[in-house]
Amino acid sequence: MSTEFRTPLSRARGLGSAKHGAAHWIAERVSALALIPLVLWAVFGVIRLARADFDTAVAWLASPVNAVLMVLLVLVAFWHMQTGVRVIIEDYIHKLLTKSVLLLANLFIVSLAGALAIFSILKVALGGAL
Amino acid sequence: MATYQFIDHKFDVVVVGAGGSGLRAALGCAQAGLKTACISKVFPTRSHTVAAQGGISASLGNMSQDDWRWHMYDTVKGSDWLGDQDAIEYLCRNAPAAVYELEHWGVPFSRTPEGKIYQRAFGGMTKNYGEAPIQRTCAAADRTGHAMLHTMYGQALAQDTEFFIEYFALDLIMDEGVCRGVTAWKLDDGTLHRFQAQMVILATGGYGRAYFSATSAHTCTGDGGGMTLRAGLPLQDMEFVQFHPTGIYGAGCLITEGARGEGGYLTNSEGERFMERYAPTVKDLAPRDMVSRAMTIEIREGRGVGPKKDHIFLHLDHLDPKILAQRLPGISESAKIFAGVDVTKQPIPVLPTVHYNMGGIPTNFYSEVVTRLGDDPDKVVPGLMAVGEAACVSVHGANRLGSNSLIDLVVFGRSAALRAASVLKAGATQPELKPAMTDGHIARFDKLRNANGATSTASLRLEMQQVMQEDAAVFRTSESLASGVKRLDAVMAKRGDLKVSDRGLIWNTDLMETLEFENLVVQAQVTVVGAANRTESRGAHAHEDFPDRNDKEWMKHTLTWLDDATGAVKIDYRPVHDFTMTNEVAPFPPKARVY
Amino acid sequence: MVELALPKNSRVQKGRHHPAPAGAKKVKTFKVYRYDPEQPGNPRWDTYDVDIEACGPMVLDVLIHIKNEIDPTLAFRRSCREGVCGSCAMNIGGRNTLACTHGHAEIPGKECQIAPLPSMPVVKDLVPDLTMFYAQYASIEPWLHTKTPEPQQEWRQSPEDREKLDGLYECILCACCTTSCPSYWWNGEKYLGPATLLHAYRWLIDSRDEATGERLDALEDPFKLYRCHTIMNCAQVCPKGLNPAKAIAEVKKMLVDRVI
Repeated sequence: MSTEFRTPLSRARGLGSAKHGAAHWIAERVSALALIPLVLWAVFGVIRLARADFDTAVAWLASPVNAVLMVLLVLVAFWHMQTGVRVIIEDYIHKLLTKSVLLLANLFIVSLAGALAIFSILKVALGGAL
Repeated sequence: MATYQFIDHKFDVVVVGAGGSGLRAALGCAQAGLKTACISKVFPTRSHTVAAQGGISASLGNMSQDDWRWHMYDTVKGSDWLGDQDAIEYLCRNAPAAVYELEHWGVPFSRTPEGKIYQRAFGGMTKNYGEAPIQRTCAAADRTGHAMLHTMYGQALAQDTEFFIEYFALDLIMDEGVCRGVTAWKLDDGTLHRFQAQMVILATGGYGRAYFSATSAHTCTGDGGGMTLRAGLPLQDMEFVQFHPTGIYGAGCLITEGARGEGGYLTNSEGERFMERYAPTVKDLAPRDMVSRAMTIEIREGRGVGPKKDHIFLHLDHLDPKILAQRLPGISESAKIFAGVDVTKQPIPVLPTVHYNMGGIPTNFYSEVVTRLGDDPDKVVPGLMAVGEAACVSVHGANRLGSNSLIDLVVFGRSAALRAASVLKAGATQPELKPAMTDGHIARFDKLRNANGATSTASLRLEMQQVMQEDAAVFRTSESLASGVKRLDAVMAKRGDLKVSDRGLIWNTDLMETLEFENLVVQAQVTVVGAANRTESRGAHAHEDFPDRNDKEWMKHTLTWLDDATGAVKIDYRPVHDFTMTNEVAPFPPKARVY
Repeated sequence: MVELALPKNSRVQKGRHHPAPAGAKKVKTFKVYRYDPEQPGNPRWDTYDVDIEACGPMVLDVLIHIKNEIDPTLAFRRSCREGVCGSCAMNIGGRNTLACTHGHAEIPGKECQIAPLPSMPVVKDLVPDLTMFYAQYASIEPWLHTKTPEPQQEWRQSPEDREKLDGLYECILCACCTTSCPSYWWNGEKYLGPATLLHAYRWLIDSRDEATGERLDALEDPFKLYRCHTIMNCAQVCPKGLNPAKAIAEVKKMLVDRVI
């Protein structure tokens, strides 16, 4: 015997439509697309730097093009990761409190890690000027 | 006896059945502001309307000029003049509006290049009073019933119709000749329910499963007919059982007549298109009773195909595969699954298979149930209506034309709703139900639930099905029908020895099948008795000892009452309405039925 | 949290064995999920050794044979037996399908397992409770919405526009797709599932419908629509050969179309 007394239609309609999701869906795909050249570039750069010394690497990253691309890579990758992990949390975690905590943790950790990474890049890139 | 408690419901209208006619009636009543319940033993889109393939007839005139009078003439002639002409006029006049209504609700009809509803040729549908075949059958590929049923269910949701799904109706609540409601058993929790209503509309479909091989679904057990007989009311013209010419050999699944409408044809073992001999004008598009008889004769005379020479081939392999994919995708799939045949290359093995019951609960064209009381052959039974295959309006008479059933569903479903709206007052006070009215229902339910004899429902059902298949087939003789009566008496007698193994109340399908069997067997009984009684041949009732139609004696509807306890059948008659509803068409007098 | 193991009272135990009758020619074993809410105890697997020479070719024929000849207490839904009503959807040999169109010869091996559709509450034996599935279908308002006064005759529709409904309107609401979708298993209360979304698209793409925008509004939701992760089980199992995943992708495309 069911202990659920809400009508099935009420349950099916639930909280109604959030009337958003398309933008998120597009952003996921756009960021994925953007990551293709960025990651290729980064892999290519890392291979080139594999045998180089520290100073060469710093010089490479300090060049405006590389620094900007690296900042973009970090931004896009972390943002993409954040949205992906968010979907996974939404899929599997159903308790509102747990879910909220995990979603916030995801956002904060990613933001922190991303901010640190960007700051580090800027530090290297702008180091010469300071 | 265990104690049972009814859960009570009160409505203005209760519709039993959620197929095409039930949904149309229910949503029409809901639209009219009547508090309406629709109870069904299956989820609405599982009803057997879903399996209708070819289409729905209406003289839209989308393919060529058409006239509802031509449609009416064809229907009267198709019925072998047993149909009531006032009701047939009502059907054919209202058909186009009913189809447009369905289209407006969203039925995905196939289209002509001008964007109109596509219509195909069907058996017995002609132009200008029998001149040549006409394209009158509106089609949604070969899934017309499916498209209609799903659309109507959606529309019923839009009208906020109240559904009671997977409730098995037990019996009519009768109060001195007036119907006050219906009792039902809710399958998923085992509770019993009492639905009180000012009007009960039976839309319970046919009883095809009384036969061994039928295109009908397992759920086509004519529950409304059984309930009506037990309520002491008669059924009409039950001897007329339609065999569809093209059921897949072996499986019994339907191959639409639309297959022949699109150009398909039948051949015998000599590769001959034999229908040219039987119906020179319309050939393979002759009405179903004639095609089924022709096929049976071919097989009998040794010209059947296959190793046992016991079936016929239906050819579609000459048709453009693109047309097949577009207009007959469903049957192409069925032929593949159930006959292992690629229709673009091979013929489909087919056999006449029980398909439709022309007979049923007698009604007038308002869908009100009528009975014969003394000299009054049209006495309305207050509080009770019937629609669809369960009913006998009678628009199909002795033989239904293909695609006339879907239009019957919606036209008379609508007429029932209109009539209910005009005769009922929403929310009117209803008399209190007394336990005595339903004690018998519970006793019967409990008796069957605890039935502990030696005969399983399945085995007795099989015995009945074999009797019907053998003795009340396409061709009948005095001998076969006498044997049928005798053998069915034996089956009826064994009802006391039934055994039900499951004693539960929740989804007890053993008990449900037993209740269904009870409904089937009483209708099988009146079918054979009615058939044995009718000493003529008319439409689907082909009596070899009386091969001719006998209008002088037999142009009348058979009414059969059944004494449930003894199985004794009482027979009386109602005159055929050989007059029309309006003066806009003259009645069609009987003549020889040749095509 | 998602439950990864069955709760204690749902764990399926070993049940009865029904041996084949003497003289059986070709025996195949059918392991059938049994649950009776009116009896104490957990669900169980009953095994039936069936002489398949005595049955018709389909799994439904086997089930009917079991019910008629071996065990009348077995409960399952069935109606049309030709694949159009959608009643007999169940999990056969690990795959959701219709018992009436699935031949028992198609199942490899000597044993075949038959269970109710996954993820739905079980009412009895092979009968699942599909209430939520139907309510979700109703929630997308599966009927034609028009504002323009209806014409005297039909709404005109070109054959090309009509063709867009092919592959959609044929759905029989059997729930094979929806109950095979892992995303639906995890979020069945909030995600509409493939069958309902396929129907949503059927009305979105109908040239006669005048509520496309409102329909899209109602669907644009991280859960109702976007829980589809293109796992594609739906398209794999559909017994009518439809592709709900493609329909869902088309809905997503429409949503993109209206913002860019």
